[in-house]
Amino acid sequence: MSAVWRAARAAVRRRRLQTAVIGIVVGLSSVLIVVGLALMAASSGPFDQAYTKQQGAHLIATFDRDKATGAALADTTHRPGVSAAAGPFDQAVVDVTMAPELPPLQMTVVGRDRPDTAVDKLYVWQGRWVTGPGEIVIDAEPTADLHTKVGDTVTIGDGRTVTVAGFAHSVSDSAQAWVAPEEMAALHPATEQMLYRFTAATTDAQISAGQAAVTAGMPAGALLGAQSYLTLRANADITAGVFVPFLMVFGCFGLVVAVLVVANVISGAVVAGLRHIGVLKALGFTPNQVMAVYLTMVLLPTVAAAVLGTILGNILAITVLSSAFFESYGAGAFAVPPWVTITALAGVPVLVGLTALLSSVRARRLSAVEAISAGSAPRHGRGLHAQRRLSGTRLPRAVSLGIGLPLARPARSALTAAAVLLGVAGVTVAIGLSSSVTAYVDADSRADAVQVEARPAKDGPTLSDQADESMLRALPGAERVVASTELTMRQIGAAEPTRVRFYRDADAGFEMLAGRWPAAAGEVAVSTRFRTQNSLALGDTFTLDGDGGRLAVRIVGEVLMGDAEPVLSNWATLARTAPGRRADRYEVKLAPGTDDATYAAAVNAADPGLRAKPTRAPGSITVAVHSTITLLALLLGAVAALGVLNTVVLNARERRRDLGTLKSIGMTPRQVVLMMVTSMAAVGLAGGLAGVPVGVVFQRYAMHAIAHAARIVIPDHMLDVYSAPMVLLLILAGAAIAAVGAFLPSRAAARLTIADALRTE
Amino acid sequence: MCGGRGHYRLSGMTEDQNVVRLSAVRKDYGDTAALDGVDLEIRAGEAVAVMGPSGCGKSTLLNMVAALDRPTSGTVVVQGEDLGQLNETRRALFRRHRIGMVFQFFNLLDDLPALDNVALSAQLVGTPARQARARALELLDELGVADRRNIYPAALSGGERQRVAVARALMNRPALLLADEPTGALDSRSGEQVMDLLLDLNQIGQTLLIVTHDQRLADRCASRVVELADGRVTHERTLERTA
Repeated sequence: MSAVWRAARAAVRRRRLQTAVIGIVVGLSSVLIVVGLALMAASSGPFDQAYTKQQGAHLIATFDRDKATGAALADTTHRPGVSAAAGPFDQAVVDVTMAPELPPLQMTVVGRDRPDTAVDKLYVWQGRWVTGPGEIVIDAEPTADLHTKVGDTVTIGDGRTVTVAGFAHSVSDSAQAWVAPEEMAALHPATEQMLYRFTAATTDAQISAGQAAVTAGMPAGALLGAQSYLTLRANADITAGVFVPFLMVFGCFGLVVAVLVVANVISGAVVAGLRHIGVLKALGFTPNQVMAVYLTMVLLPTVAAAVLGTILGNILAITVLSSAFFESYGAGAFAVPPWVTITALAGVPVLVGLTALLSSVRARRLSAVEAISAGSAPRHGRGLHAQRRLSGTRLPRAVSLGIGLPLARPARSALTAAAVLLGVAGVTVAIGLSSSVTAYVDADSRADAVQVEARPAKDGPTLSDQADESMLRALPGAERVVASTELTMRQIGAAEPTRVRFYRDADAGFEMLAGRWPAAAGEVAVSTRFRTQNSLALGDTFTLDGDGGRLAVRIVGEVLMGDAEPVLSNWATLARTAPGRRADRYEVKLAPGTDDATYAAAVNAADPGLRAKPTRAPGSITVAVHSTITLLALLLGAVAALGVLNTVVLNARERRRDLGTLKSIGMTPRQVVLMMVTSMAAVGLAGGLAGVPVGVVFQRYAMHAIAHAARIVIPDHMLDVYSAPMVLLLILAGAAIAAVGAFLPSRAAARLTIADALRTE
Repeated sequence: MCGGRGHYRLSGMTEDQNVVRLSAVRKDYGDTAALDGVDLEIRAGEAVAVMGPSGCGKSTLLNMVAALDRPTSGTVVVQGEDLGQLNETRRALFRRHRIGMVFQFFNLLDDLPALDNVALSAQLVGTPARQARARALELLDELGVADRRNIYPAALSGGERQRVAVARALMNRPALLLADEPTGALDSRSGEQVMDLLLDLNQIGQTLLIVTHDQRLADRCASRVVELADGRVTHERTLERTA
């Protein structure tokens, strides 16, 4: 065994606390780095990963089966530019009734004998694929709330009953349900579905070229519709884009904090070991051997901790990201890219090694005598003047001594303050994003305005429209009831149908971003996305076409809402196109303290033809986002606190003799703790003061980026979520993080045996 | 230098009363006994020197009396306080109010000037900074180093550092002054000055317990010499002071 290895192993054994601190910080930093890098990797496209994994279709073409023969369709699979194809599959749009109490849904049902076709491999995440007639597989995201389960029966078409064999998800969005091909005959399919992948499909022009190639030679009108994957991707980007900014912010914060803390720990460890280096040199170790001893001593715990941290980081990233983003796309579990694992496994030890190398260059240059006498707190500079001024203040002496301590090691204090700064900034961003996202989601879902929704069941309400509304108002706990109904209309000039919801009440609880609520007949309010997608402005007029004829409407307001209900209007406007139509939804605001489930049960009892349910459950993505933000903020805070712990350990070691002296002249253990905690609280307070503005800036950036990606407008009051008391608390959070990190080593310093400490010379 | 000031003598304490009483004190470090059944009494106003070869238990004995360490068995009573019964905080308060310590290597805080080093003891008790500094200056003046009050320890001579350390030890008017090899790190001239200082203090009533190798220091300052060997008191003698 070489002398270097023996000396390094002995040094590791003797410095158990320092070795533990290096191990914990490197381990946690590795976790943070893996999660941070994985977040960045994930943000680059769960949709794309899912699309590649499932061989998603670049083009879904719907053909008229009377005009496009099977042979002609089979021929399209060999056209230039087509890299893979699946189909033809019989396709029909039929009514599907999931449960007797639910109204039927119009669904696109496709006949497929297997899920793993060359294009659009379906992700069967529950149950199994259909084996023959009498079975159905329903399309749903794994995170969706299901109203049915495997083994239930549903009614399709003209009353045929089939059993749910499983649930699957198509990333291509190719159908809402699948049955065996033999089942399709009974559903009277009028169309055939073809699924294509092209060699080039990154632009609209390339998709159009592919579409032209596969339809070449087909009779006119054979192609009834086509769906480009780029359209799906654009919508997916909106969802992903909402989360990318905060993933990036937290990923970057995590990396920088980890680097700062590792640099602080390692440089401190080397400085604290200068005396040891001097002794080694005195024993005859060459400068290079000394360097080797030190690098080995630091790298031993580093490598072990990096391996452990990388494994834990992988587990954490897979757990968080799979549930938050990937399963909802049907991509299955998220796999941490190999480069992330390799970067953490190799990068962290290299970073630590470089820091140790840089720090020990000084030790390499020092003579044995200089090295032995070094390694204690500096005895010159601004720190001395500050201590002198502080000793004349009215502060308790333990406090004033503590405030002066960080000035003795300004570089170390700056690194510690920077780690606390980023920790506080992380917590600030987390709280700000959570508050802003919650405020937006609450406003979008009108959580304050609607606690219970009642809709007519399949067989229809037993009471009249007015009687139902009166009944809902009369039930105990109802504060406000708003009735509305929806019509599917077509905006002249647009391909997609437009859903228009008409409200009977002036105050439906929507947040107005601009203009006012529609008051007169012919007035509408729209979402920002609808207005921008259609290049419309407040005051503009457009025409809607429905069963009751054409209806010219004018935009008088812009409301905060997602894409579910792009056009809102009033009962007077409904009277122009569908007079006499009854409400299909009643939104109930409950008085504070009213139990929503009790109220809903009372509604169902009063009119069995109505189905009432509470609206309180937050979306799974929202929950995942909140838990991710909280987890990352906690990790950042913990690593920052560990950085502080390390600094206090180093300071206490350097000032061992001073601590012994102070205790010998009567400093109590409590005063020692107060002094050491104050020293770091001062650093933490400085970090908090700087960290809060940094956090606010990043919160603004992230929210603006989210708004831009989602094509929404977020009102200023949802960005200004930091109240004065909260800002004060966040600033104090810096001191709190530092105090928590400082407490344990301070207690250890307070328990120092004076006789031993004073023997240290 | 400081004759005639009776304020170091504790009120109500006569020279017959024991300031220190050690009964069958034993201190083990693993299998080794640093102190092995030591009995010792020190009366108020006495100056006792503990002598003996290296490793005989001198410093361990001093640590027991200063409440810096706890005996394995036996009792240590200083000024009526059984130190074995005190928790860490009360031991700190004991050190703060009842004793002053002077070390071989001074143990001054290097980032405070001489004046603030001395004032620190009083400030820890809660004495306002101005008042503490005034008393510290008074002590430095009495010990002849007032002109060095704004100098940091690193720039003071060994003798000056030890005078500052003595001033710090006297800051809270202790009943007992403990000195651990107070001349051990000084040249002969500085050592002489420190010896004079300790003698003066004892002559105005300050009780002293000095641990030393230095026979001259013992002969000059002590009224009684206790000799230790292998953790036991082997010999005691009363001295006629040479000065």
